[in-house]
This record gives sequence, structure tokens and C-alpha cells, in this order.
Amino acid sequence: MTQSQPSTGTLAEPNNRSTEFVPVKDTGETTSAAGLLITAYVLMWVLLLGFVLLNWRRQARVEARISELEKALAAGGNPGGARN
Amino acid sequence: MHGAPPLFVSRSRAQDLHDGDLQPSSQRTNLSAVTRWQDKLFYALLALTTAVFVFLIAFIFLVCPVAQVQAGGLAQKIFYFHVPSAYAMYLCGGVCCIGSAMYLIKPTDARNGVAQAGAECAVLFGSMMLTSGPLWAKKAWGVYWTWDPQLTTLLLSVLVYVAIVVLRAFAGNGEAERKFASALGVLGTVNLPVIHYSVLKWGGNHPIVVTRSGGGGLRHAAMTQGLLTGFLAMTLLAGLLLWSRTRVVVSASRVARLEEEAIASGQIDY
Repeated sequence: MTQSQPSTGTLAEPNNRSTEFVPVKDTGETTSAAGLLITAYVLMWVLLLGFVLLNWRRQARVEARISELEKALAAGGNPGGARN
Repeated sequence: MHGAPPLFVSRSRAQDLHDGDLQPSSQRTNLSAVTRWQDKLFYALLALTTAVFVFLIAFIFLVCPVAQVQAGGLAQKIFYFHVPSAYAMYLCGGVCCIGSAMYLIKPTDARNGVAQAGAECAVLFGSMMLTSGPLWAKKAWGVYWTWDPQLTTLLLSVLVYVAIVVLRAFAGNGEAERKFASALGVLGTVNLPVIHYSVLKWGGNHPIVVTRSGGGGLRHAAMTQGLLTGFLAMTLLAGLLLWSRTRVVVSASRVARLEEEAIASGQIDY
């Protein structure tokens, strides 16, 4: 994702936008590409799994409330072990 | 609660409580055929999504060629998740907008659920894009972040969806709060086309690799195939997450309403 006229931190004009992947020239960037790639993929999966886990916990809470409501209704108005 | 809840949601239980007019579970009617069919469809979709993602990851790392060699080569492979994540955010933002607009026209739990799920999923996919993009940019541009018009408008858009999620989480679940969040959902989506057209109209570092005429910047067939598979995978994932979140939100709303009704009618005494 670079420019044909790359320049770190500067903006290209609209008409000079790159339309393909063109190599960066002499940025002096030495960060490991593999490291960045692995970090990016791990972070994306962590975010996704976090979201699924959060949803799963919310669902568990809803399930618990339904169970309590069912118990309370079964007890004929006396919630017993239902949420207080 | 007995044991762990199933992966998918308990719409059927909340719905049965509702359909059973607050009767105990022993007196409720069986699950409707439609609900069972929906559950089966969800798990089938889950299996399909998993298979597509496994294929996508294998395809990206085994088939897609290394590009941008001078910029690290491997880092370019972030592209196959980064761009589809952006697309999925647009998709979820659109769903949020439609759900919000429909809720403003006629408020229902289902429409509120769709609007909320859309905003939450938009935050998720926006976050995926905002974490993967800077890591790629570090290698390609030499910096994690620039105030490029597209990056700035994207950040703004994600922050709008974050605001909606925070508002819904902390401002209560009343009618006024729901409507305010829905209005924000409609207004926030206005920014989505700005992100897209900022690439075309304004300056900046972000390239225009994928255009209306196709991926002209993708110089290898496998790169195009990888990107299209990424779009398919993210579409399926977004559909699953939206569906699942909507059902949880709708179930929670129904249970809360049933609890209030049961207390008001004296059927339970919390």
C-alpha cells in the first residue's frame, strides 16, 4: 500500500494516487515484515474472539434470566431461588 | 443456569415465554418449526464460514504470491483481511443505518436489536481494520499512522459507532435512549461514503487498488482470488455475528419486558 512517489508522512495529490502496489524507495524501514504480519493476524483474531466471548457471556446472562423467570412463574408468583 | 449456554442464542426460550403468555416452561408449546429451521441454518452457516476461513488462510499463505518485496513482501498479505474488514464495516454500518431508520419509523425490539448489532459489529470490523492497517503501513510507509484523509474519516466513523455502543451500554435502555442511539446510527452512516470517496477526491498515501473496474493493482490472478475469498469470508462472518447479536439483544429486551409484565400482573414478586 504505497505510492509510486512515496514520501513518509506527506500526502500525494488526488491525481497522483497510486493504483497498484508499488515498492517504497529508501524509507530505511527495518521492522520485520513477518513480525508485523503475525501481529496483525493475531490481533484481528483476538478482537474477533473477544467479541464472540462477550456475546456468549451476554447470552449466558439472558439464559439465566429466562431460567429465573421460568422458575418464578412455575412457583406461582413466589420466585424462590429467582433473582432478587 | 445449568451448564454452559449453547453457542447460539435462546430466542426460542424468550419467544416461548412470550407465546406462552407467561406460562411456565412445562406448559409452553414446543418450539416452532421456523425456529428450529433457523437454528439449523445458523449452524450450517457457521460451518460454512469456518470452512471458508480455513481455506482463505491456507490460500493466502500457500498460494497468493508475495508482493511489495521492497516493503517487506510478507506484510502485504495483511491486505487479504484488511480490505474485507473495511468492506464488512461498511456492511454492518449499513445494517445499523437501516435498522436505526426503521426503528425511528416504527419502534420494535427487533429493529432496535438490528441497529445495536450493526453498530457493535461495525466497531469490531473497524477495529480489525484499524489494527491491521497501521501494522502494514509501518512497513510500507515507514510510519504506523498518517493523518491521511481516508484514515482520518475512517477513524471518525469508527468513533461514531463506538459512541453508539457506549451510549446503548451506559445510558439505559429506555425509549428516548434507543431513539437517540438510532438517530446517531443514521447520521454516523453518512460518513461511510465520505471514507470511500476521500480516496478518489483528496490527497493522501492510501492507494486505490480496488476500483469499480476491479482490482487493477492486483497483478496476479491468485491475489484477486484471495481478495474475493476474503470478501466472501467476511460477508459470512458479518452475517453470523449480526444474526447472533441481534437475537441476543432481542431476547434480552423481551425478557426484560416479560419481567416487567409479570411483576405488574402479580405473577411473580421480585
